Amino acid sequence: MFTKKRVAILGIVVLVGFYLGALATRAIINLMIGGTLFGGNFL
Amino acid sequence: MRNEKKGNKTGMFIFLCIILFIISFVGGVIFKLVYDPFHGKYKVNWTDEVGKIYSDISYGELESNKFDLYVPSDNSKESYGLIVYLHAGGFRTGDKKDDADTLKYYVSKGYVTAGINYTLNTDDNPQYNIKTMSEEIKKAIPIVVNKAKEFGYNIDEMTIAGGSAGGCLALIYAYRDAKEAPVPVRMVFEGVGPSSFYPEDWKSYGLDKDSKAAADIFSYMTGKKITEDMFGTKEYDELIKDVSALLWVDENTVPTVMAYGKHDIFQPYEGSVRLDEALTAAGVDHKYFVLEHSGHGLQNDTKEYMKYLDTVEEYLNKYMPVK
Repeated sequence: MFTKKRVAILGIVVLVGFYLGALATRAIINLMIGGTLFGGNFL
Repeated sequence: MRNEKKGNKTGMFIFLCIILFIISFVGGVIFKLVYDPFHGKYKVNWTDEVGKIYSDISYGELESNKFDLYVPSDNSKESYGLIVYLHAGGFRTGDKKDDADTLKYYVSKGYVTAGINYTLNTDDNPQYNIKTMSEEIKKAIPIVVNKAKEFGYNIDEMTIAGGSAGGCLALIYAYRDAKEAPVPVRMVFEGVGPSSFYPEDWKSYGLDKDSKAAADIFSYMTGKKITEDMFGTKEYDELIKDVSALLWVDENTVPTVMAYGKHDIFQPYEGSVRLDEALTAAGVDHKYFVLEHSGHGLQNDTKEYMKYLDTVEEYLNKYMPVK
């Protein structure tokens, strides 16, 4: 099941998922008063 | 049979990809929420060995007229510099305790620090505005200095600072009231504090196109009756001068370190450009940090934000060094 190609694909999926998760959070924070909610010390 | 097995394996692999994507996505969210890009550089592990906090000391009759005093554990010095940090909250919310980490951090450097509450503009207290808040700060500071002395810390100089609404009030105190301060005001540092009130700057509220709305909002901020026909006149500048730090800048203005977000929609970045230009024209030693990717929270430019904080310390070492 785990050929080199598939391991590489899984690695890419993990990286893309992580990046998109962080990016989505950043976008939401930017919408929330430019990060000033929660004391502005959110990031 | 072989094709069916191959199909099952492919299906399993796709399923695994989806599960891993979801887990990684959640991991990315959690990382972004909990990661401290400063690695604790501007925080201190607060213990009795670092300092002590005197909470909710009164400086007036109102419930909101309270301040917290943070003092270093070492009280053996002849005199101390005071750093007052004023909290954010759009003049309508916030509390001195919001800045506890900042106040503790500067105590760890050897300063006495204070967070002062001021009476907020709320639905129950609509009569409070930037002018009344700035007057409360002015009233509080001599009391802060005296209280520190009572506790054994002789204050002989001070710096005022703040964020957003607190930045606005810090600038007003530093530029308007410094001459009447109980000890010399050495410098001011602040982030995203509005320092001027010109409708053409306040585009995100549409005030550049709606003079009536601009007059209403600026009347609330100043506590004075401003009408549409006043904009652009000297009379207008006179009316807003009490709450506009920009209009107090001259060659005697104290050194200033300030940071603003280029995409700020809560107070205009354009106002900070005016302030930078005025400070430059007056020959005031100042540093102006523009966070190119950030809004009001200065949230997307960690390196530049760290430069701002490091520059604050450089200026403190230069203008109000710890004895």
